[in-house]
Amino acid sequence: MSGKKRLEIEMNWFTDIQFASRWYFWMFLIFIPLIVWYIWGRKIHNPDLKISTTQPFAAVMPSARVWLRHSTFILRLLALTAFIIALARPQSTRSGQDITIEGIDIVMAMDISGSMLAEDFKPNRLESAKQVASEFIDGRPEDRIGLVIFSGESFTQCPLTTDHAFIKNLFPEIKSGMIDDGTSIGMGLSNAVNRLRNSEAKSKVIILLTDGVNNMGSIAPLTAAEIAKLFGIRVYTIGVGKEGTAPYPFQTPFGVRYDQIEVKIDEALLKEISDLTGGQYFRATSENSLREIYREIDMMEKSKINITEFRKPTEEFLPFAILGLLILLLDLALRFTVFKSLP
Amino acid sequence: METTELLKKVRKIEIKTRGLSSQVFSGEYHSVFKGKGMAFSEVREYQYGDDIRSIDWNVTARFNNPFVKIFEEERELTVMLLVDISSSADFGTTGQTKRDLITELAAVLSFSAIQNNDKVGLILFSDKIEMFIPPKKGKKHILRIIRELLNFEPQNTGTSIRTGLEYFMSVIKKRSISFLLSDFIDRDYENALKIASRKHDMIGIRIYDKRETTIPSVGLFQVKDAETGRMQWIDTSSSAYRNALENWWKESEHYMNEVFSKRGVDFVKIQNGEDYVKPLMHLFKKRAKRR
Repeated sequence: MSGKKRLEIEMNWFTDIQFASRWYFWMFLIFIPLIVWYIWGRKIHNPDLKISTTQPFAAVMPSARVWLRHSTFILRLLALTAFIIALARPQSTRSGQDITIEGIDIVMAMDISGSMLAEDFKPNRLESAKQVASEFIDGRPEDRIGLVIFSGESFTQCPLTTDHAFIKNLFPEIKSGMIDDGTSIGMGLSNAVNRLRNSEAKSKVIILLTDGVNNMGSIAPLTAAEIAKLFGIRVYTIGVGKEGTAPYPFQTPFGVRYDQIEVKIDEALLKEISDLTGGQYFRATSENSLREIYREIDMMEKSKINITEFRKPTEEFLPFAILGLLILLLDLALRFTVFKSLP
Repeated sequence: METTELLKKVRKIEIKTRGLSSQVFSGEYHSVFKGKGMAFSEVREYQYGDDIRSIDWNVTARFNNPFVKIFEEERELTVMLLVDISSSADFGTTGQTKRDLITELAAVLSFSAIQNNDKVGLILFSDKIEMFIPPKKGKKHILRIIRELLNFEPQNTGTSIRTGLEYFMSVIKKRSISFLLSDFIDRDYENALKIASRKHDMIGIRIYDKRETTIPSVGLFQVKDAETGRMQWIDTSSSAYRNALENWWKESEHYMNEVFSKRGVDFVKIQNGEDYVKPLMHLFKKRAKRR
């Protein structure tokens, strides 16, 4: 997956606002004559109604409205403040970082053949592969990840998605024996390639995990690798299994029996696939080494992160102008309704 | 005010009020305000229809022809206009101020008075005596009174009816008919009125404006006391203010009723902008009935 992500530092209105036309703040000086005028001039110029006597009203407690009539003036000052601020060209110079992350698309092709139940890994190969893959997914939040499983046939468990939680939720459901037994590396690989075919990501990766020898399927692994190469997909291959023999469980009428079965991994094939596509072959002999391998892949397939420091001054006058206008409207509305005054 | 303009105004008032006084009020005024009694003026020959009781037998015997005595009412009344020209009179919401109304009323009364050959005097007062025009007869004198009423600028703004009455008592010794024209936005004149009403025939005329009794809900405004210059913001949308005014008005009416009725002094209320003929006629009729 390719995408730009802008990690912006939360804008702080008090520190990140800068004013391009600072000198407009001198206009605040106009407040002094305005206020003086309001206080003094009101006495002199405010129209009053001469009535015979104000005796009747002398004892009346001033109603709230009488006091609040000043609020229209204050509102006008506020509107003026907003306009002056707008004039001063407030700019939010977000000194953020423009982080361009080019995520990559990864399809994990996982062998779930019966041999994956061998318990040379704890609790067995499949479970531990699932565990490590899950951790791997956690470490790559920017990438789209898909999941293909294969044994005798291949099956897309999950197409490419950024919803990693969903993929991880699928892991427990993956069991050996879901599909015909066998090991069809070619089918798994080609299915994974198919998933990546339409991807527009710069970097397309398949992580092929298997523990056996290709013995089924209608597509030869190398053919699949050729196709992968054609699409510019790198294939990392992982062979899982101890050197020598591994305990393999058998269901018998008397319970589970373990047989030591020789581990046969077609390392040459896997190596060829990876070499052909520009990937790499790994051999995991224990859970830790598997984890190590995934880490290594993680390192190699680092998402491209471009961090550009940017200072993008955005003009922020609009909210102030609108605020000022709204206050002015409010003032107007109030003056003609609540604080309507005569004459 | 320019002289020509003033004279025009005087003329206007004269025309308007003289008509009223000669047509509407002539009889009423004459019969209501009577002199002390009848004075013999002359004898003339008896004519058919004369009251036989008025036949002067001495003269009849001497001339051998019936003669009757002619009496004339002794008038020579003094009419005093006590006019309150405090600043509160410079208020009116019906196109004319209370002072305009007062002027008109004073003119009507003056013309009524001279038609009956009475003397008319004027006292203008605020919280002090602003002007005194001693009672005199003649149309010229009346016009002067009207001119002063129109044009006079008081020095003080306040109201003291008591001061006006006391001064009136001190300058007019002879019994007079006195019209007290004021808006009666004042207190403390009770005693002075009592004393004045003992000697003089007092009549109170209260001039008021509709907006002194109630105000509509028209929002906020700043009011200025015409007399004290006190400024205040009032909120007519608040019933507190409106009630305050209504209560104040009721209370002030109550006080006036109390003061005048207790002394048996006639008074009439005239609202600015309303017809004043009716209340005046009513007043005259009331007095005529009492006699």
